[in-house]
Amino acid sequence: MKDYFRTNGQVMGWGLLLAVGFWVILLIVLPQISMLDFSFRNNLPPPEMGGPKDVYKIANYKYLVFGAPGNEDGYNRVDLLVFLRTLLAAAAVTIFDLVLCYPIAYFLGQSPGGGFTRVLVLLLIIPYWINEILRAFAFRIIFGDTGVINEFMMLFGLIDRPIDFIRENIALYAGLGYAYILLMIFPMYNVIESLDRNQIEAARDMGASWWMIHRRIVIPFAKPGISSGCTMVFMLSAGALAAPQILGGPSSLWFTQLIYQWFNTGGNWTQGSAYAVVLLLTCIVIVLAVMRLFKVNMGDIGK
Amino acid sequence: MRSQSLLIRIGVAFYLVLFFSYLLGPLILMSITGFNSSSFPQVTPWEVLSFEWFSVLYNDDRIINGLKNSVIVGFFTVILSLIMGLAGALMLTQIWRKLRSTFYTVIIAPILVPGVVIGISTLVFWDRINVMLGLSDDSFLHNGIVLTVLGQSTFIASYCMLVFVARLQRYDTGLSEAALDLGATHVQTFRKIQLPFLMPAIGSAAVLAFLASFENYNTTTFTFQKYPTLTIELVQKVRYGINPSISVLAFIIVSLTIFFALVHEVRTRRAQLAVANGAPVGAVSGGGKLTNVFAGNPAAVVLALFIATALAVFAYAQVYDPEPAKAVLLKKKRADQQKRIKALQERLRQQRLREQMSGPKALKPPKKSLTPFGNVFAPKNLNQVGGKRKPEPVSKKKRKSPFPSPFGNVFAPTNLDKVGGGKNKQPGAGRTTREKRTKRKHRSPFGNVFDPGNLKKVQPGK
Repeated sequence: MKDYFRTNGQVMGWGLLLAVGFWVILLIVLPQISMLDFSFRNNLPPPEMGGPKDVYKIANYKYLVFGAPGNEDGYNRVDLLVFLRTLLAAAAVTIFDLVLCYPIAYFLGQSPGGGFTRVLVLLLIIPYWINEILRAFAFRIIFGDTGVINEFMMLFGLIDRPIDFIRENIALYAGLGYAYILLMIFPMYNVIESLDRNQIEAARDMGASWWMIHRRIVIPFAKPGISSGCTMVFMLSAGALAAPQILGGPSSLWFTQLIYQWFNTGGNWTQGSAYAVVLLLTCIVIVLAVMRLFKVNMGDIGK
Repeated sequence: MRSQSLLIRIGVAFYLVLFFSYLLGPLILMSITGFNSSSFPQVTPWEVLSFEWFSVLYNDDRIINGLKNSVIVGFFTVILSLIMGLAGALMLTQIWRKLRSTFYTVIIAPILVPGVVIGISTLVFWDRINVMLGLSDDSFLHNGIVLTVLGQSTFIASYCMLVFVARLQRYDTGLSEAALDLGATHVQTFRKIQLPFLMPAIGSAAVLAFLASFENYNTTTFTFQKYPTLTIELVQKVRYGINPSISVLAFIIVSLTIFFALVHEVRTRRAQLAVANGAPVGAVSGGGKLTNVFAGNPAAVVLALFIATALAVFAYAQVYDPEPAKAVLLKKKRADQQKRIKALQERLRQQRLREQMSGPKALKPPKKSLTPFGNVFAPKNLNQVGGKRKPEPVSKKKRKSPFPSPFGNVFAPTNLDKVGGGKNKQPGAGRTTREKRTKRKHRSPFGNVFDPGNLKKVQPGK
């Protein structure tokens, strides 16, 4: 501690501590704890808070699993199904992005870096600067009943009436995959770019097949990038709210939409907090699992 | 990537084209819809080139108000995030080794935590503080702008922190020590040595923070209260009724993005600035590569062309009047409609004739198609009603089917006979001639209800 003030001086030292403390304690840690605490409470109007009814209970979590008290079904099938489908769909979107982006990242990372590559990278970045909502809106135009895809397919006689892409959730998956492409490409691109091209040459000289080179050299080397990209895309798609609201079919909900409903139309904050805690814990578990699985540490994620 | 064979080369090129059309296609199509006069954003059918949506957008109070709120929120978020991010990065360089990874995890976590969760926790926490302090409902802690800034800064500061960490790695601490040795105070050292060194990083972090704040939805949607930002307004608009003025907004943003990218490129090229931390977006996902991206492109030419095009379009928009073309289109549409109605009437007439010959069977559907919405039912639909159409398998799409009767022919009186026939097939049931006929054709467990031949078969029976 003494060292700290010696290197920073009194003013700077306290300034730093204050800023970091504000951020870490008041913005990161305490709100999460408060949300966790809130999720165990009754949904009470402010005057009754701290009163006799303000007790801890796990009813809010029970609701997610078993449904409302007196539910004959045994489980809250609707919400659990939404939860499961959100996770599965997010995983599918992640895999889709990975498969789509790996060749591009490899191509960019291994190309000699002339003007052409620069233009490509620029083109990659431009869509990312456009508002997420507007990107979702673009997909709604494309996939709508009178959208470009339907019109074209009808023009060529492939179908005789518009396919409802929105109801089938195709628009949603395409839109989500689209929204986070860049977060998949860049981590991979950065890692692959630092791969010494001689290694690939050497492998090729020794007769390794195209598949072998990728499996034994490129992919192991790019693992931090891949896992970081996958984590980001998965988290963002599972936590997406705007895209499902705009592109989701009327009958299918995203888990975040359930939370949103509890807060806005449902007016039950404690219930919503419980759902949010579930989402948060799931995300933490998944991040940890991915890190364990790929043997990368926190420092690699977010690079 | 030295492809040996031509085939691989073509494959790569094909993939690149495919990939970039997926990436850029939606934006281009969306921009185009902003110039179509049709009141629903669409590319096809193309109606008339029109600039009217620009003025619709400009006169939209909610959008303008949202933009104002977004700028205010963005401004304060940038300041708060920069301060916290910089402090976090500086702290990270000198915190004890043992604590270091924990600290890093904590300040990087907001990036990985879903934005919804951050929004909720911010809302809940400050609401409780408010209650605890006994403040009223309209205190500053309930102010949408304050809450939004706090919520957004939580994770945007992490982005900034990453940018600063990348830059600080190249910082020579010897410089600070030298300054201190020469008698500078700590504040002076920070201001005169560290801050100038960090300046490029501060610039890119600020741009990044502003963009992130500007386009944030997940967190803001829980915290905005009475101050909807542009993104919130956009979502409301897109969800409840869309019109091409949103496309116009997208077009403007796309143009601005391209414009700034080009300007940046030109400037980088001219000054050959070694911006160590690169442009904002790269920084989020681990950038540092954008310096090379922007270096040495004939960007100036492109920029000049871009500006010239923009000016030309603007000038054209001043003199261009879509009204005559619109009138022509309207006329054509009307004529089309007339034609369709005529065709419809003709078909109806024939239909009636046929009806009289074939009995009451087809009575039901035509009744429906007498509705005034003649053009909704494409002429070919009537053919289907004419009795040749097979009952289609029950599916979700049925609801959307333009078929005049919502249930297909399922309820046509003849169907009952058919189903009856299928049932009769159960052991012990009497054998009628009709049943025999069904049995001959029977292949599925559902009797022949879905057999396309049913209707034809049944008709002669009547």
